[in-house]
Amino acid sequence: MTTASDVLSSIQSAFPGAVLESKVESDRRLWATIDSSKIVDVCKHLTEKLAFDHYSGAAGVDWIARNEMEVVQIMTSHGAHQVVAMLKSKTPREKPTIKSLANLYWNANWYEREIWEMFGINFEGHPGLYPLLLGDDLVGAWPWRKDFKGYPDLTTGKRAVERPTADGYTEYFIPPTPAEIEAGTVPIKLKYPSYREREEAEIKSDAEMIMHMGPQHAMLPGPFLLDILVEGERVHKAFLDLGYIHKGIEKIMENRSWLQGITYTDRMCYVASLTNNECYCGAVEKILGVEVPERAQYIRVILEELSRIQSHLIGTGEFLTLIAGVGYAPWNFMIIDRERIISMIESVTGARLTHTFVRFGGARNDLPEGFADKCRDALKYIESRTKEYIELFNQDPIYHMRMEDVGALSAETAKRVGISGPPLRAAGVAYDMRKEDPILAYPDLDFKVITGTKGDCADRVDVRLREILESVHIIEQCLDRIPSGPIMTETKVPKKIPAGEAYYRVEDPRGEMGMYVISDGGDKPYRVKVRGPFYATLQTLPPLLEGVYIADVVAIAGSMDGCPSEADR
Amino acid sequence: MLKRKMLMNWSWPLKIAREVEVTRLYPEVMMELPDAERGLHELDATKCIGCASCARVCPNSCIEMVPYRYGNPLKNKKMQYPQIDYGRCMFCGLCVDECPAECLKMGKKVTMAGWERDEIVRGPEKIAVKKFSEKEEQALEAEAKRIAAEKAAAKKAAAKEGAKKPGAAGAAGANNKAAKKKTAPAGEGAPASKASGKPSEKTAGAAAEEAKAEANPKVGGAT
Ligand code: SF4
Ligand code: SF4
Repeated sequence: MTTASDVLSSIQSAFPGAVLESKVESDRRLWATIDSSKIVDVCKHLTEKLAFDHYSGAAGVDWIARNEMEVVQIMTSHGAHQVVAMLKSKTPREKPTIKSLANLYWNANWYEREIWEMFGINFEGHPGLYPLLLGDDLVGAWPWRKDFKGYPDLTTGKRAVERPTADGYTEYFIPPTPAEIEAGTVPIKLKYPSYREREEAEIKSDAEMIMHMGPQHAMLPGPFLLDILVEGERVHKAFLDLGYIHKGIEKIMENRSWLQGITYTDRMCYVASLTNNECYCGAVEKILGVEVPERAQYIRVILEELSRIQSHLIGTGEFLTLIAGVGYAPWNFMIIDRERIISMIESVTGARLTHTFVRFGGARNDLPEGFADKCRDALKYIESRTKEYIELFNQDPIYHMRMEDVGALSAETAKRVGISGPPLRAAGVAYDMRKEDPILAYPDLDFKVITGTKGDCADRVDVRLREILESVHIIEQCLDRIPSGPIMTETKVPKKIPAGEAYYRVEDPRGEMGMYVISDGGDKPYRVKVRGPFYATLQTLPPLLEGVYIADVVAIAGSMDGCPSEADR
Repeated sequence: MLKRKMLMNWSWPLKIAREVEVTRLYPEVMMELPDAERGLHELDATKCIGCASCARVCPNSCIEMVPYRYGNPLKNKKMQYPQIDYGRCMFCGLCVDECPAECLKMGKKVTMAGWERDEIVRGPEKIAVKKFSEKEEQALEAEAKRIAAEKAAAKKAAAKEGAKKPGAAGAAGANNKAAKKKTAPAGEGAPASKASGKPSEKTAGAAAEEAKAEANPKVGGAT
């Protein structure tokens, strides 16, 4: 199997002198700084020669002290090997520019747009650098740069003033100070077509019209705007706009202590807060180099699997109320079942949704007395219920008509668009972080990666339900094996984390969740980049919706089981 | 038959008019919460040392240290205790984990609707589940005063000593400090606290010996 050092030597021999710095952290992690003029060629080489077919995301970092910016490309493979290559390319802070990978990897589009609007790094050759998460008035302020002073910038005493625009809207405007006018440094507002203008430019004939779905949805919990261009019942094109609940969590975490950061990971997606906790704490543990005691590992696995069960239950239940054809109300039953799982988790963590439970080097609480027996009872119940659900869906003709062969994704397309989690596995690609990047006690546990065959909506629901059964199996094993012992490491976790960086991945209920954490040796993170699963899934929605009927839009979008709050973190 | 039913219907409002409780609680029995539940905070005011660690770690800065009377003046010199703003608190429990005296806990009470501001911004008197009574408090305050006086006396004695033996003054002062630290816990043989009144075993220099010898008999008399 290919290891990180193989990958490094392959790049070095193909492009002599292109690797400026490199570090092989383990067999699975390669850190390399690539000459920024060669980054596209190196990525091409990796994809063609070394089976790096999964462009997982990109992160921008502002190194203000070194007066340069960095773009880190995260490249992995869909199961051919398990190496994650973190390829950095540097650019000076004045006029930062990097070559775009969007023509090579379709899904690089959104990641680069995000880096552009947050850091102001220009991507040469990008098909459309438009703001995605930020409001129009913040574009050009580059809020995630380290020298961003806040909006409006209170340090200069400036305040935004409201003023009407020519077309009757209200805009916020920061008047330049007299000193700025004199020096000629008045910030220039960038000009680009707005979301509305861009979608209206696509209307080709009078028969077509634009239909708005959202921002307040019946489809998914959380606001995002999905506009579809329809002719009659057919969708010709779909457009997606995010940013209605942009919380700037990555920036907030840079201004909070390491420990306080855990509470913010909870709130990215409250249905999956335990896996988010795990991802952040895991990354910090990696920088620290601490080993989590075995009991704590098992506790974390048990709770994360319980949280997967409850997330799948609520996701499926909610979705099935939308396609409405089902002659029974799975929502009611699933929410009752979920309640049992939630109270199991609550009995350990003390909270129902926002757990703040995982700690650096361990866990907050031990399992309470009698937990194993109660948990086994609940799992038995969930198992029988889930089997019932699978049977019920199989019998329902309306369910079949609405779900089968709707929104089918082939394995190739699914890989190319960079989707992850149940939608990817439903297409038949066995790609699961618990196997690809095993953490905690997962290597010792026996479980299968659930896959589907057709990749349609019915398959996606089916994969989720069968994953519940698999999680039940995992938890039962954990309960049998859990050793006794401490739940926190002996070594005291310092307030200041030593300088370093780590990329850590966990399998979120919705797919691949990765966090790239950088420490500069201070008491706060220097940068936390969240590579969330639903951001990637949302990006694939517009192409997936092209050519379907209006009625199927809800079925397809809903079957992705998403949380726009996490995409919009 | 119908008439009787109608009459019954009419009697219903008359019947419920006499009952005071109109809105019923539902579900009638509250859900049983686990022991680990992170509900409203509970403060053991007899143990809190006023270190403000909880206030510093809170991500939402909802804890403010405010003065409060019924704590332990021997441990908490400034008598500052946490006040929690539940308008901001997200029940993350970091403050509880950080407390070195383990006196801040989170209880099972989770309902907190209120009419007044002080039911949302809860001061120490609201969150304290354990505190000293007026009588105990007076005794403790007297004790604290006495110890303070004692220390002042010890300081004076040390100063005299230093004056007698010039040159050794600096060293004697330092030793004296150490000795005082050791004797302070001895004063805690107060009503509720269980700290043992053992005098310090380590001795440091002649001046320290003297200071101890001066302080100890008095403490023994008080306990
Ligand atoms: S529970 Fe969290 S938010 Fe509430 S007071 Fe404690 S630290 Fe602050
Ligand atoms: S409650 Fe605990 S952490 Fe807060 S001031 Fe008192 S002793 Fe310190």
